[in-house]
Amino acid sequence: MTKATRALLGATFLTAMALPAVAQETTLTIATVNNGDMIRMQGLTEDFKEQHPDIALEWVTLEENVLRQRVTQDIATQGGQFDVMTIGNYEVPIWAKQEWLLPLEGMPEGYNTDDILPAIAEALTVDGTLYAAPFYGESAMVMYRTDLAEEAGVEIPDQPTWTDIRNAAEAMTDKENEVYGICLRGKAGWGENMAFLTAMANSYGARWFDMDWAPQFDSEEWNATLTDYLDMMNNYGPPGASSNGFNENLALFQQGKCGIWIDATVAASFVTDEDESTVADSVGFAQFPNKEGVDNRGNWLWSWNLAIPSSTDAPEAAKQFVAWATSQGYTELVAEDEGWAAAPPGTRTSLYENEQYQEAAPFAEMTLNSINAVDTNAPSVQETPYTGAQFVAIPEFQGIGTAVGQQFSAALAGQMDAAQALSGAQTSTQRTMDRAGYGSE
Amino acid sequence: MATQHSRAAARLMISPAVILLLGWMLIPLGMTIYFSFLRYNLLMPGTEAWAGFENYSYFLTDPAFFAAIWNTLFLVGGVLLITVVGGILLALLLDQPFWGQGIVRLLVIAPFFVMPTVSALVWKNMFMNPVNGLFAFLADAIGMQPVDFFAEIPLLSIILIVAWGWLPFATLILLTAMQSLDGEQLEASEMDGAGAVSRFFHIVLPHLARAITVVILIQTIFLLSIFAEILVTTNGGPGTATTNLTFLVYAESLLRFDVGTGSAGGVVAVILANIVAIFLMRMIGKNLDA
Amino acid sequence: MARAVSTRRKAAVTALAWTIGILIFFPIFWTILTSFKTEAEAVATPPSLFNFNWTLENYTTVQDRSNYGRHFLNSVVISLGSTFLGLVIAVPAAWAMAFVPGKQTKNVLMWMLSTKMLPPVGVLIPIYLIFRNTGLLDTRVALIIVLTLINLPIIVWMLYTYFREIPGEILEAARMDGATLRYEILYVLTPMALPGIASTFLLNVILAWNEAFWTLNLTAANAAPLTAFIASYSSPEGLFYAKLSAASTMAIAPILILGWFSQKQLVRGLTFGAVK
Repeated sequence: MTKATRALLGATFLTAMALPAVAQETTLTIATVNNGDMIRMQGLTEDFKEQHPDIALEWVTLEENVLRQRVTQDIATQGGQFDVMTIGNYEVPIWAKQEWLLPLEGMPEGYNTDDILPAIAEALTVDGTLYAAPFYGESAMVMYRTDLAEEAGVEIPDQPTWTDIRNAAEAMTDKENEVYGICLRGKAGWGENMAFLTAMANSYGARWFDMDWAPQFDSEEWNATLTDYLDMMNNYGPPGASSNGFNENLALFQQGKCGIWIDATVAASFVTDEDESTVADSVGFAQFPNKEGVDNRGNWLWSWNLAIPSSTDAPEAAKQFVAWATSQGYTELVAEDEGWAAAPPGTRTSLYENEQYQEAAPFAEMTLNSINAVDTNAPSVQETPYTGAQFVAIPEFQGIGTAVGQQFSAALAGQMDAAQALSGAQTSTQRTMDRAGYGSE
Repeated sequence: MATQHSRAAARLMISPAVILLLGWMLIPLGMTIYFSFLRYNLLMPGTEAWAGFENYSYFLTDPAFFAAIWNTLFLVGGVLLITVVGGILLALLLDQPFWGQGIVRLLVIAPFFVMPTVSALVWKNMFMNPVNGLFAFLADAIGMQPVDFFAEIPLLSIILIVAWGWLPFATLILLTAMQSLDGEQLEASEMDGAGAVSRFFHIVLPHLARAITVVILIQTIFLLSIFAEILVTTNGGPGTATTNLTFLVYAESLLRFDVGTGSAGGVVAVILANIVAIFLMRMIGKNLDA
Repeated sequence: MARAVSTRRKAAVTALAWTIGILIFFPIFWTILTSFKTEAEAVATPPSLFNFNWTLENYTTVQDRSNYGRHFLNSVVISLGSTFLGLVIAVPAAWAMAFVPGKQTKNVLMWMLSTKMLPPVGVLIPIYLIFRNTGLLDTRVALIIVLTLINLPIIVWMLYTYFREIPGEILEAARMDGATLRYEILYVLTPMALPGIASTFLLNVILAWNEAFWTLNLTAANAAPLTAFIASYSSPEGLFYAKLSAASTMAIAPILILGWFSQKQLVRGLTFGAVK
């Protein structure tokens, strides 16, 4: 036996013996996304520990898709590995109906639920009971480079139409210098390209299903949506767009490679952050575009929320944590530590009434307008059998959305044309809906 | 020479491994087969019902199914081709005397130690990204249009990433085999006037036959269930361009949470894998007995 | 080899071999290099090779955000634990197969290898349910069990092929000399088998260290190894190349160093019967 192997053998036995048996009063395992605001929260937990010395926190920070799969798998099998889960407003009503979540009743004293923005609160409430507390919320809006717009001699109004956007993108494009007029999501996924494309379709007057749950990808509105999207992206978009999601586009915009970027409002604080963004002082904002004559600005509403799975063994401690992380006090803590612009946006009315915040965050008003413009009960101007926003609030949507997203992503990659992608989307959605038994009841 | 006694002892020694693997195979597989006959969606508990062969017909009629079979074959075949050919060439090269052999060998085997998730993330972001990647920069520098790897050649890109990780393994095995080649035999044929190419095809390659089969067998076992590299880079897309069988099963059972269909897919994948296995075993069994 | 090699030829081979070696290693080198850059420099055009401001800030950030020590310890315990357990089960089995081969030996071996072809995703839900019911979710024990089982076929196969190379005559000779079984095992067999066992050991530690499906899906906080650590650095918001590089370096460095130092042992047994 060589020395190295012998040393290894020894080391294993030692480590095996030395496994620490951690004995804490209560340990909360918190599953969360690796987004900037959540990472900031991890850094601020000293404050929570001071208030609750008997509660220890364990973080499981994962990339969004991995996180979603892990928590869904755990909650559906009642695995009980997590005490607090970070989930979207898509999951909340579906999971609440399965009684997988504990209602947020009897929250610690001083926790103000009335302050939560009405659009967000409504999305998290089932039968009058709140099932999750919003950590941050967002709608979508247009972010654009004011310097490039000026140079190109175009103006983007506060409430632009898609024609305005297209013209501006054309004027700003300068591929020689790696400036692409428009950056949009292209990476397949129901929470990636389909979030954007569903919102865009909403603003074109399209809908996912008619009142008999028949998929509508063969409609004129969807055709127009996808055709215009592909046309803009192929002519003025960056290379590799079919693998760009929120994060990739954010990086491109921060490096000054995008003229216009239409995405979640939460991005506003990142693109105006001078430490991270090279274009921080020349970003303008506008509401999500609509098609001329369609009274709909996409209806994009997303919030990342903290919820407590019913399989937890520490519900009281979990409530303490949820209350801490989503309170006004936490917002102030962030402001104190990193300035008001870094406060988690889109959840509380009080934040938007705060003058210091309005001053520090030039995007505050546009964010609030965008969120308030959302009506989750009527995502499209046409009648729909579903509620939702940039998603359809049925359990099957994750599967359907991702399958359709793959088709549209393939179209963006140039593997098929719009017509093929739409008919592929129609067939695959029809297949899933038939199997799930919609329309037959 | 084996006595009755030693046979019994041998059986005793083998049995823990056999029993454990049998359990590992039968229990989850049994449950999977059972689930595959149920209508079972993880998101809708309490609605489980007997479904007969519905899950199977649903899975097998999925347009993505045949794409997945082809992708699986291309993926396995592509990586095998690159690693075997590349491995032979590298082994030939490393078998020559040169300065710094030890260090070059360390450089060459390094990719084998890198976890698949890390290598996929690094390749995807720092090399193949069409805007910020190093390849895009190099293409720009010589005045070419950067290749948009995961849109234009998605499957090939994944094959390259995987092949990079497995090349050292193939090289090491082939190199060891090559070093066991009888030098005198080579010299004799050299004296007979055989050229380098002819020596390679008539002496070296036949000598490597066993090593090549071993490389193919071991790698195929791992390559059939390639998953991490796809999840991290393309998520099976664009379209179904990089969906292999494993990823399709994953998509059914953990993205759509349709455990019934996912299980049916799992059973189909097991059957197909076993067909490949039998085929391989035949091939390698013959080669190893020789 | 007795053939004289001209210096010119040797120089040419050296140049070629080094070029290829450096190309193959380059992605790892580049990752390590990027981990010392700032985020802005990591995506700068043209990319800088050495003339940038070296910084350790990425490592500090990663260290602040993640409990690297615990992930590392989990990786060590899980990979070594599963390898030891695997060897304990596999050595006798491979031994018996190699020295007392029966009619079914080859079939058993082939069957073992074929269990490795089960796609793990297909059986995740059943396994998850089993571990939930036994309370083993998010424990190192669960991962040690699973990784032992998935790597067992490879361990058995590798040991079997190695043991088969040990000439049976030596054993007989020892027996003729009146050696006891104990003597036979301790002084004749063990020294001959050890290189093969060491090499199998190393290969399995590497495979277990890098296994990213089960380790990610069966753990949450307590037992999560480095593969889960990496999952929290894949595509976050904003620029992330430098932080990803630092985390990647931290995840692969231990196994890379182990692999490099034990390269000779690893290679010695890594033949799978390919060499006669």
